Amino acid sequence: MYKIFWVLWPSFLVAGIAEGLFFTVIDPQELYLFGEPVRLSTMATYSIGFLCFWAICAASSFLTWFLLRSAADINKGVGAPVGFEHGDGI
Amino acid sequence: MASTTPRQLQEKKPSFVEESLYEVHQKVHPRAVSGIFATWRWSMVWFTQILYYGLCWLPWNGRQAVLFDLAERKFYIFGLIFWPQDVIFLAILLIISAYSLFLVTAVGGRLWCGYACPQTVYTEIFTWIEQKIEGDRNARIKLDAAPMNARKLWLRSAKYACWGLLAFWTGFTFVGYFTPIRTVWDSVWSLSLGPWETFWMLFYGAFTYLFAGHMREQVCKHMCPYARFQGVMFDPDTLTITYDTERGEPRGSRKKGVIPISIAKGDCVDCGICVQVCPTGIDIRAGLQYECIGCAACIDACDQVMVKMDYPKGLIRYSTERAIKQRWGWREIVGHIVRPRIFIYSAILGAICVAFVWGIANKASLRVDVIRDRAILAREVEGGLIENVYRLHVINVSEAPQRYAVSVSGLPGIDMVGERTVEVPAAGAKMLTVQVRVPPESGKKGSNRIFFDVMSVADEGVSVHEKASFLQP
Repeated sequence: MYKIFWVLWPSFLVAGIAEGLFFTVIDPQELYLFGEPVRLSTMATYSIGFLCFWAICAASSFLTWFLLRSAADINKGVGAPVGFEHGDGI
Repeated sequence: MASTTPRQLQEKKPSFVEESLYEVHQKVHPRAVSGIFATWRWSMVWFTQILYYGLCWLPWNGRQAVLFDLAERKFYIFGLIFWPQDVIFLAILLIISAYSLFLVTAVGGRLWCGYACPQTVYTEIFTWIEQKIEGDRNARIKLDAAPMNARKLWLRSAKYACWGLLAFWTGFTFVGYFTPIRTVWDSVWSLSLGPWETFWMLFYGAFTYLFAGHMREQVCKHMCPYARFQGVMFDPDTLTITYDTERGEPRGSRKKGVIPISIAKGDCVDCGICVQVCPTGIDIRAGLQYECIGCAACIDACDQVMVKMDYPKGLIRYSTERAIKQRWGWREIVGHIVRPRIFIYSAILGAICVAFVWGIANKASLRVDVIRDRAILAREVEGGLIENVYRLHVINVSEAPQRYAVSVSGLPGIDMVGERTVEVPAAGAKMLTVQVRVPPESGKKGSNRIFFDVMSVADEGVSVHEKASFLQP
């Protein structure tokens, strides 16, 4: 449960900042998507923009969490002896 | 491996360690409390919520007084209108908020968390609803443990329904700050609300419900970044909620009116009320902890017990680390508020506030952007004159429609073709195409500095002198 929040929550906060900065500088009416002007309403552009920012930030948070997993977590069920960890030979 | 140290033992059981990293969350059932700090907290609940739920309904000059109109990219705050170009004010406002938080924290600890943070405020309201429907702390603990029956189902449904209504209203109000709230209100009743407005209303409402109804102190403990770094702003002279260990220990139960010294005990009767009222479920007697949101509920609760015991109040009180150590009274604590850290925070905050107010007061009511036509650099027109084309983006920041006169200067014989006046609606903008012509012998080859003057017809004080470059082939 906490893991889900650790991925979704910081990305939500950062996406909010990114959204604010991006749309302060760029008018949604001036955006082009695949060479065509965006024909969505301003509200829709802002909303989709925010959700995209959130998804990108969440992907980054997810990777961080993924790389933070301990060796034991990764080795679990791969055949390594139970409780085996680096440093046991010392 | 010769021997196994405790540390290695711990590392050897990865699955166990993984689980024990997180303590098992036990639901906190805060006991209701009354007293001076509870009154302060409730005053802040009323103040912030009347502001939040009410402000969006306030009209001003025929529009909503406070409206962050995203669709039009304009922020209205009473008489002020902010355009995207005014983003600097938003940045300054954020800096002011940050420094205010630093200053308040350095002086009084987590006053923001305890009294004004939306998480605290909504939790307070949601807990109040819970208590009205399900009863006091003991009744709620019993109800939680009881098997599901008709009564429990009824109480739970009633509670969730009330929470849901309040959360929905909160979400509705939130959307009403970005789309005019009266339009949103009509759309809700005619079921014609746009898909994104609906989405954000439910999104904000659902998170209010989840955070204030179910997660509560979990948000402060696990999600709030401020809770993690507030300790940096603390020093030995910062007011925090403190248990007077020297006076309270050794704690222990006793009959009413017993003089502590006669039974070789401190003033703490170990009734545990301070733990029961704590919204984050900690024991303040263990010392200052990052989970403490500074709500002062334990002060109110302990004071009531002290009065009942005929002991002096303030066994738990607002005090500072140094004051407790050196047994200072209020006079010394107040005397130590002025210290270098506070002085620096105040000086910076004061300077930024002055700059902010000066900037707002001197905000231009007319703004002009000159954009060169990118398609044509320079061309020869009838009579051998050289022509450059510009587009003038004239923005009227005032709240009344304005007529502006446009003129050009900077080169001998310079003149312009096209509209010489432009009518711009209140808080609106117009794009004006201007052809500027000069004789071929005027100026040098290449780029020449010219100026556009845009001046209000009604008020000559409102004008903009904007430079541009004229290309002479």
